Amino acid sequence: MGILGLSKLIADIAPMAVKETEIKNYFGRKVAIDASMSLYQFLIAVRSQGAQLTSVDGETTSHLMGTFYRTIRLIEDGIKPVYVFDGKPPDMKSHQLNKRAERREEAEKELQKATEAGDTASMDKFNRRLVKVTQQHGSEARQLLKLMGIPVVEAPCEAEAQCAELVKGGKVYAVATEDMDALTFGANVLLRHLTFSEARKMPVQEFHLDQVLRGLELEQTEFIDLCILLGCDYCGSIKGIGPKRAIELIKQHRSIEQVLHNIDTKKYTPPENWEYENARRLFQQPEVTEAKDVELKWSDPDEEGLVKFLCGDKQFNEERVRNGAKKLMKARTGTTQGRLDGFFKVLSTTPNPKRKAEEDKKSANKKAKTPGRGRKPK
Amino acid sequence: MFEARLLRSSILKKVLEAIKDLLTQATFDCDDNGIQLQAMDNSHVSLVSLTLRADGFDKYRCDRNISMGMNLGSMSKILKCAGDKDTVTMKAQDNADTVTFVFESPNQEKVSDYEMKLMNLDLEHLGIPETEYSCTIRMPSGEFARICRDLSQFGESMVISCTKEGVKFSASGDIGSANIKLAQTASIDKEEEAVVIEMDEPVTLTFACQYLNYFTKATSLSPQVQLSMSADVPLVVEYRIPDIGHIRYYLAPKIEEDDS
Repeated sequence: MGILGLSKLIADIAPMAVKETEIKNYFGRKVAIDASMSLYQFLIAVRSQGAQLTSVDGETTSHLMGTFYRTIRLIEDGIKPVYVFDGKPPDMKSHQLNKRAERREEAEKELQKATEAGDTASMDKFNRRLVKVTQQHGSEARQLLKLMGIPVVEAPCEAEAQCAELVKGGKVYAVATEDMDALTFGANVLLRHLTFSEARKMPVQEFHLDQVLRGLELEQTEFIDLCILLGCDYCGSIKGIGPKRAIELIKQHRSIEQVLHNIDTKKYTPPENWEYENARRLFQQPEVTEAKDVELKWSDPDEEGLVKFLCGDKQFNEERVRNGAKKLMKARTGTTQGRLDGFFKVLSTTPNPKRKAEEDKKSANKKAKTPGRGRKPK
Repeated sequence: MFEARLLRSSILKKVLEAIKDLLTQATFDCDDNGIQLQAMDNSHVSLVSLTLRADGFDKYRCDRNISMGMNLGSMSKILKCAGDKDTVTMKAQDNADTVTFVFESPNQEKVSDYEMKLMNLDLEHLGIPETEYSCTIRMPSGEFARICRDLSQFGESMVISCTKEGVKFSASGDIGSANIKLAQTASIDKEEEAVVIEMDEPVTLTFACQYLNYFTKATSLSPQVQLSMSADVPLVVEYRIPDIGHIRYYLAPKIEEDDS
């Protein structure tokens, strides 16, 4: 799942790169959402008394509930979402997927045990671990989004890579996902917690790749190597090298090849047939549809279609669905507030001398960067 | 060493009132010429640009350029402690991380000083291009505040439309619609009460009432307000602060939805 410990590493070493803001500050922005990630979230989170919401014949509807209401919320906040669905997983991910399957089996066994023992707390826990986004969930969500007038993009391969391509091509402002991969794929802006429930009052975390790179003092290729060392979805990593060692090694040697050349491989054994080169290539040139070939079009919601799809068997409340459709409609008719930064260019960002001083202390060998404006750091 | 003294604290108090609802924190950039402040609100819809010229102060000294990041809520609390007729002095050492406000009563009998911690803010500075505006409207600031307040009851946004005949403010919403037309004042007796319109091309733009209402908090700083508009660029609302400077607000217009 994403890159191991990257967000923590960034928060420690390059705190400048992370900003926390309210969701409503993203009005007028187009955002690419990693669909499978958000569906998974909804399957986990949208529950009533610990059980997933279901239709009459026991089919899960949590993902539809989540997609419907949270998308409406984004739209009411003036955000224009695009959902990007995964295509086939890359071959290199098969290992990771096998591992996940194994873990699911384990969880299943544990669940049985817990059920026999009547331990409801762990039943709930393992139940959640068994959650998986299926083909059917995906196609239902696609159908729902179409009825809502929200554009859907089919990625040829990994959704994150496609999202990153959309950001790079200027089609959208940011990627909304929880996985940090999107940064590795080169998306300049990544938003976390965007599709979280309002009730959780979780601020949106915004990561800026250029600031991450500046903070870590790395080039994009070095950053990719760092991510591989931390542990990605596509290949193993060196045992015994944690985030701290990983960043040190990359800073010192600038590539995995050099790292391997310089470390004691007896003490730190890299995995057999380590395919880091392929993983690197996957991050650098992922299989994506070019941004210029993707057309994003938001259209009017189909109220009757939504009612037909969601009410009846799926047991949604008709009134609420109609209300939702009206909200979608209203958001389309109104004018959107322009953003001032769309008119005026940012000249400079006042650096923050104090925080920078702390960073410098943390890594003593770091070179002093642009001197602080005016006041000297404490 | 930085030191700036104003005979009347009321100006500074009013300035703070005029910006503290829009901004929670801001950097005061001080140099030889005076004090500058430029900051966007959190949602990046509006921008405040404040200039207080050195010659407007009773005493002004700034040996080295300094930037002081202040929490405007805290600063406002401190300024509330000053009487309107008190003299106020802002002081800071060159590399200080605090700023001191000294208030002296007119008869010098009471002297109070307040020290406030400074913040390190990383704020974005925006370059504002010099623009020739198609329309500029000067009108009594109280009148403008009244119009904004009245119209905001009808809808979230207000349309400002400037033509040869005059300027029209309108809003519509669930309860109905409202239109206020102002014509150019025919004969100017009192400059402060005049409505003056200069127009090259007619302009119609839509703005969020909420922000305009924030701007009109500056009403007490100046008897007149100037609105400058051109198609598809931010509105400028300017209040001149007599003898010392000005406060300008920029507001991004609302734009029609397009699907591209």
